[in-house]
Amino acid sequence: MKLYITENTKRNDKTVAVDDTILVEGMPSTAGSKMLGEFKPLFDAEVISRLYNTGFSITGKSNVGEFGLDLLGETSNYGVCLNADGTLAGAAAAIVANGDAEYALSVDLNGTPRRAATLQNVCFIKPTYGTVSRHGVIPCACSAEQIGVMAKTSVKAAELLSIIAGHDKKDGTSLPQMKYDYTAADNATGIRIGIPTEYIEKAEQTVSEKVYRFADVMKADGATVEEFSLSELSFVQAAWQILLCAETCNNLSRYDGVKFGYRGNNSKDIGELYTSSRTEAFGLNAKFAILYGSYVLSKGHYESCYDKALRIRRVLRNKLDGIFSQFDLIIAPACSKLAYSPSDVVNSLEACYNESYFTALSNISGIPIVVCGGVQLMGDSFSENKLLTAATVYERTEVGK
Amino acid sequence: MKEEMLKGLEKINQLSLTQEERRIVLDFFAFLAGEEEALESCNTDNVERMVHLIPLKNVLREDVSLKTFSQDSLLAGAPKHTDGYWQVPRVVD
Amino acid sequence: MKYEIVIGLEVHVELATESKIFCSCSSKFGAEPNDNVCPACCGMPGMLPVTNEKAIDLGITAGLLLNCHINRVTTFDKKSYYYPDLPNAYQITQWFSPVCVDGGLEIETQAGKKVIGIKQIHLEEDAGKLVHDDWTDSTLVDFNRTGVPLVEIVSQPDLRSVEEVLAYLERLRAVLRFAKVSDCRLELGSMRCDVNLSVRPYGSEKLGVRTEMKNMNSLSAIARAIEYEAARHIDAIELGTKTLIQETRRWDDISGKSFAMRNKETAEDYRYFPDPNLVPIVIDEEWIERIRASLPELPEKKAMRYVSELGLTEESTALITASRNLCDIFEAAYPISGSPRETANWLIMDCMSYLRSKQLSADDLIIDPLKLGELIRMTIEGEITRNAARRILTAVIEQDADPKKIIEEKGLSVQSDEGTILAIVERAVADNPKSVQDYRNGKTKAMQAIFGSIMKELKGNGDPQVIQRLLKEVLDREE
Repeated sequence: MKLYITENTKRNDKTVAVDDTILVEGMPSTAGSKMLGEFKPLFDAEVISRLYNTGFSITGKSNVGEFGLDLLGETSNYGVCLNADGTLAGAAAAIVANGDAEYALSVDLNGTPRRAATLQNVCFIKPTYGTVSRHGVIPCACSAEQIGVMAKTSVKAAELLSIIAGHDKKDGTSLPQMKYDYTAADNATGIRIGIPTEYIEKAEQTVSEKVYRFADVMKADGATVEEFSLSELSFVQAAWQILLCAETCNNLSRYDGVKFGYRGNNSKDIGELYTSSRTEAFGLNAKFAILYGSYVLSKGHYESCYDKALRIRRVLRNKLDGIFSQFDLIIAPACSKLAYSPSDVVNSLEACYNESYFTALSNISGIPIVVCGGVQLMGDSFSENKLLTAATVYERTEVGK
Repeated sequence: MKEEMLKGLEKINQLSLTQEERRIVLDFFAFLAGEEEALESCNTDNVERMVHLIPLKNVLREDVSLKTFSQDSLLAGAPKHTDGYWQVPRVVD
Repeated sequence: MKYEIVIGLEVHVELATESKIFCSCSSKFGAEPNDNVCPACCGMPGMLPVTNEKAIDLGITAGLLLNCHINRVTTFDKKSYYYPDLPNAYQITQWFSPVCVDGGLEIETQAGKKVIGIKQIHLEEDAGKLVHDDWTDSTLVDFNRTGVPLVEIVSQPDLRSVEEVLAYLERLRAVLRFAKVSDCRLELGSMRCDVNLSVRPYGSEKLGVRTEMKNMNSLSAIARAIEYEAARHIDAIELGTKTLIQETRRWDDISGKSFAMRNKETAEDYRYFPDPNLVPIVIDEEWIERIRASLPELPEKKAMRYVSELGLTEESTALITASRNLCDIFEAAYPISGSPRETANWLIMDCMSYLRSKQLSADDLIIDPLKLGELIRMTIEGEITRNAARRILTAVIEQDADPKKIIEEKGLSVQSDEGTILAIVERAVADNPKSVQDYRNGKTKAMQAIFGSIMKELKGNGDPQVIQRLLKEVLDREE
């Protein structure tokens, strides 16, 4: 199982695995792609500096799908991770599940870490956009991507998050608050939980069972649970796909075989150099994101696609304000089923798009997520403590059994 | 989305697909065209676009120059370089 | 001439900042290749752009100088295209909401005054430099210039002749240099001008086909390019041998022709979209007023004031107001010296001659105006001779020396004490009988030799009028 792209044998007792889309000085950084070649970053990501300062060691650069455009690592140039039963696994989540590292840092661009955490039954926190610095993240969708923390429990994940979160002046979208205090209350009394029915309908029973199980545990602890309809979900995926691909297209244009990384064999002129490098080194998902991205930004489509998606983003944000005045958090599946085999991703483009139904809402709006017990907990911006409360109550109950 | 249009997109993005890849991509473009129709069902009249998810304004840096990276370290990963420059095939205007 | 030439200019000007617009690399010219580069400005992933506040200040400054409306909210956008001098394959620029719009610049030509409309001013980042290496038949890329802040000043198509274009560019340059927005050096590339040109029959309202020309590296090249291109357009229309198409052309000054640029068959779609990493800049009244208050008095106003209030000649005024540096020094020095005229003379003659000897220009003069003023005052009031003052000037420029101290140390005070001088005069007369004899025989010039020896004994500091008078008295006395 190819868990690491680069492994680091020097470890101490505070261990973290870092996805290969996050820069660590002196270690190759591939973003799961052939395109970056032997690229060695010249600086550490801000989150890495903060971890080093707290005495952490990095176990290695965990395997990722190419530029985060994957269902579960199937598009990595460095090999797929498979469980013993031949199903797909996300490397960072597997590393944490098997104990090789206590924590992992993953970039949530399009939901992969949430799916991975669900399947490995570990906890993943995707923090509110703007709370964790993106300095040192290999960029795709700058308006939305966030580094999140993978750990066995929500308490542990929150501990690490409190080290890496906080203002960074090197990131122009970093919120001013210097430190965040992540604490969970010890019971769920009075917490109002909503379940959007559309998500339940789209998921297999094994998955929705987990959602209802979670709801039952919360109710037993004094929370209220109510199902409701979130009809906007009919266009969230499409709107997000537009923004994701447009920004990714733009962020991938810098890879041209000139300055670093892979250079194509055919370089009789500059055009050939660009084309051969980019053709030979990008996988199909990356190429598609580039092509679709430039399509939605082109004259004639900009208004109806990209500009429209930006306005839909605001409509969704406003809608979420309404939802979160009614509920403290909403819970949903993170994916449609609990196991994926390689045959499920033969058409990876379609598979990723279909699964993004469950994850796009948080990506497009920046709201935080905690994945716990195979369930996705979503809250308003800065509501991590409410999410952690629900997660802690659930974990306590499950452990108690 | 026709094949000609797709080839045009490939060209401006400096990459090329195999015929098989083109087939997959064209199919998926067609699929997404259907999905795009759903966007129409969202009323965005008088709604301002939302480029940023944070309400920040005027994030500015003081005009101070810093030298942090040497020419050597930057060129260390260059596929081809000479005399302190990155090197590419001759570019004609 | 049956045709009217219609010209609009896009002028790119490098802003006088310490660092680049979106990263902290130095933006100074002249470093070794790729010495002022970081991962952000050479296309490596992971570093995020953060806006240089001085670049916004200078954008607003340019807008105020050119009488523009300053947009209250201004944003940055990405413009995508491939070229090896563009490491990210996109340029950060302003498409949706530029910093300034709707201004005007007044120019003066033989025909009189005219206002040339300014459509907009926007901020953007510069690209790198390509060097063609014949030896290896390759192109070498230097990213030092990538990310240097630029403003692009887009004029309305209000220009009608080479004379107007040159007047516009010279005025623009003078104003921007004076306010220290940029050093505007066409030959070094800190000011670049693209010409958009079309022709139409006189009296027609409709605009003709427009071509854009690039790569003119001097004002005279711009003039030549315009003349050539206008003729080319007119020939195409009259003779009908070639169709004019809207395109970008490269001016080749050596052959004196413009050439269509390659790979411009289709109009490029730059796929502009708002930069998600750069939040909007909100410019309030307070910010604008702060910039307005810091604007310098412009050369013409100074010139009027120097002539009418300070009594300088038009010639001196023209020389001083050509340099913001000289103006600043002049204005601080003349109140100390007490004489604007003398101060101007010192600057134009003595200081400039010093600069020329070091192959420097007026903008390079570094001198404490208070010390200069003091030096000039002492010379005017006869405390030191002009000669001595000239020697002291060099020390004031080179070592920032205090004139009073040097005078004391070197004993350069003018000696005017009659008693002291008389004694030396008497001795000199006694020691130079031949010269005295020659003088009495009618050779008045013989007095010079004695004068010379007296001055020498006084180490050049003798008050010449006093020596002259006393010497004449003594010579005329002894009969």
